Amino acid sequence: MGILEVNGVSISVDGRRVVSSVYLSVGFGDILYILGPNGSGKTSLLRGIIGFPGYDVVSGSIVFDGEDVTSKPIEYRVSRGLAIAHQFTPKLSNIDTLSLLEYVCRRFKCDNLSESIDLLNIRYLLNRSFGKGFSGGELKRVELATILLQRPKLALIDEPDSGVDIDSIMLVAEGIRRLLELSPYKSIIIVTHSGLIAKFIEPTRVCIMVEGTIRYCGSGSLLGEVLKYGFKVLDRVG
Amino acid sequence: MALKSWIEWVRERAKQALDKPSPYGVDVNIRDYPIGLESIEELDLSRTSIVGIDIEKASREALYLQVDHAIFKYLSRIPGLEISRIEEFIDSNPDIARDYVWRLIDPGTDKYTAVAALRGSGGYFIRVKRKSKIDIPVQACLLLRSSSLQAPHNIVIVEEGAEVTVYTGCLIMPESAGLHIGITEFYVERGGKLRFIMVHAWNNVTHIRPRTAALIDEGGEYVSYYMNLSHVKTLQTYPRVKLMDNAKAYMASIILGLGEANIDIGSLIELNGYSSGEIISRVLARDTSTIYTRALIRGSTGKGHIECSGLMLDERSKIVMLPQLEAKGINAQLTHEASIGKLSEDEINYLVSKGFTREEAEGILIRGFMNVDLTILPEKVRKYVAQILDLMSKKAL
Repeated sequence: MGILEVNGVSISVDGRRVVSSVYLSVGFGDILYILGPNGSGKTSLLRGIIGFPGYDVVSGSIVFDGEDVTSKPIEYRVSRGLAIAHQFTPKLSNIDTLSLLEYVCRRFKCDNLSESIDLLNIRYLLNRSFGKGFSGGELKRVELATILLQRPKLALIDEPDSGVDIDSIMLVAEGIRRLLELSPYKSIIIVTHSGLIAKFIEPTRVCIMVEGTIRYCGSGSLLGEVLKYGFKVLDRVG
Repeated sequence: MALKSWIEWVRERAKQALDKPSPYGVDVNIRDYPIGLESIEELDLSRTSIVGIDIEKASREALYLQVDHAIFKYLSRIPGLEISRIEEFIDSNPDIARDYVWRLIDPGTDKYTAVAALRGSGGYFIRVKRKSKIDIPVQACLLLRSSSLQAPHNIVIVEEGAEVTVYTGCLIMPESAGLHIGITEFYVERGGKLRFIMVHAWNNVTHIRPRTAALIDEGGEYVSYYMNLSHVKTLQTYPRVKLMDNAKAYMASIILGLGEANIDIGSLIELNGYSSGEIISRVLARDTSTIYTRALIRGSTGKGHIECSGLMLDERSKIVMLPQLEAKGINAQLTHEASIGKLSEDEINYLVSKGFTREEAEGILIRGFMNVDLTILPEKVRKYVAQILDLMSKKAL
């Protein structure tokens, strides 16, 4: 059994089916990329896995670290070692970045606050209101810092490379490498539609998601074919 | 006019206003409250820590303590800083007192100023000598212990080029039902700086009617923070600040409405010359509380800004915001922004996805909502105020 088993999961948002019958398994040392065009359900799948409010698993089961967490609330899943780095983060009115990081750090009794701040080069953002006026890269880096402090067993990273300049991607990749080091299972799930981050973090497995379901999974080399042929690659491999 | 004649005029003026309600807030029957004069042998002052007052520490530095109208303790061990009871100041300095007592606040303003003028007792007199920079906060505590009227009259004079921070905590014992009317007149002379912090912790049967006015002379600065951190039956106040040329004011109010509280808070800044003023309000309404927030900046010149934010924490509560700008000349630059809303589900869910419970997430957002600029305050005081805001955010939940 893997660390994470997604068994025939379907997810609804506001009564609308956005993910259908997804099967996924993440094992030790897996760097799993989920690729797919915009709107294919990748973010919904990650949110369903972590139990984000409003993303209802209407069928199937999610087993994490040997425990069925399908009906467990999000905070329980996070406490068990799942974490999510969101593609988009809300602006938190009047909360500065340092305060947010300190809240998270206290929650998880972290000892890597300063290290994470420096690793992602966000020290200059600490006194600014969280998310307000941040560039795409700044948002991703701060967001990644919040989950580094959680030291999760398995991190779900949503679009770390969208709207991000090359310098930020390199820093984000540093953060992801650190997350892999911190994970006892050395595993991670990365969702991307462009695959840019793969230049820095090589996948071990790649799954392609289209129209709410996983259409095909293969080895890390599948990424090269997707980047070459686009999602039409499914016609070749399928 | 000699002091005696002036005091007689004040009393006559007050008598005429004893039945005059305030234009704002709930009308309170002032005749229901006796004067609290009982001598209390054993007095537990540990509760004063709720409002950030450290009696023991202040006893070594600078303190004014008043319980009801009965117990007074005051001292200053700081050179350049004078603290006394108001009556003592008036008796020993009649010629000076007549220029400061009831000069900024009309005793005939309403029934509350009237009853304070006629039946009030105590209050602090604080004077900071010319060019004295006092970095230790002066702590003043007004405690209402019995079910009674407490109406102290406070006067603070910051002489030319002097600086001070006055930290006032006002509270009531849980079993008491009182009426607190604090009359406070601030005089900041040329180039002086006054930072005034007032923290209130009352109960759900207490009525509060502070009456405050400040005159800030050329180049002076006035910074005030007002925080109401627990239940109150009714509260109405409308501090007024007059700024002379090149003077500055920053007035922040962080108000929490709990239970059935009816709160009406205003702030007024009058600009003169090239002065500038800012009024910041953060109000949070829970349960069936009602909060009115009024703010007015007026002037013919100078710059002014009002920022009012309201947070609704209950379907049954009510917030009314009335920011008002009054330009009396083409050289006045006045702006305002106001908003009322509830906690954002997106923000709550985001924090929940970081491992916080929903309640914890709401607490973090409420604490964030209360954030105002504290960098104007000295480090020592900033810590106190931050702790009070932490406590308020917990109470808001």
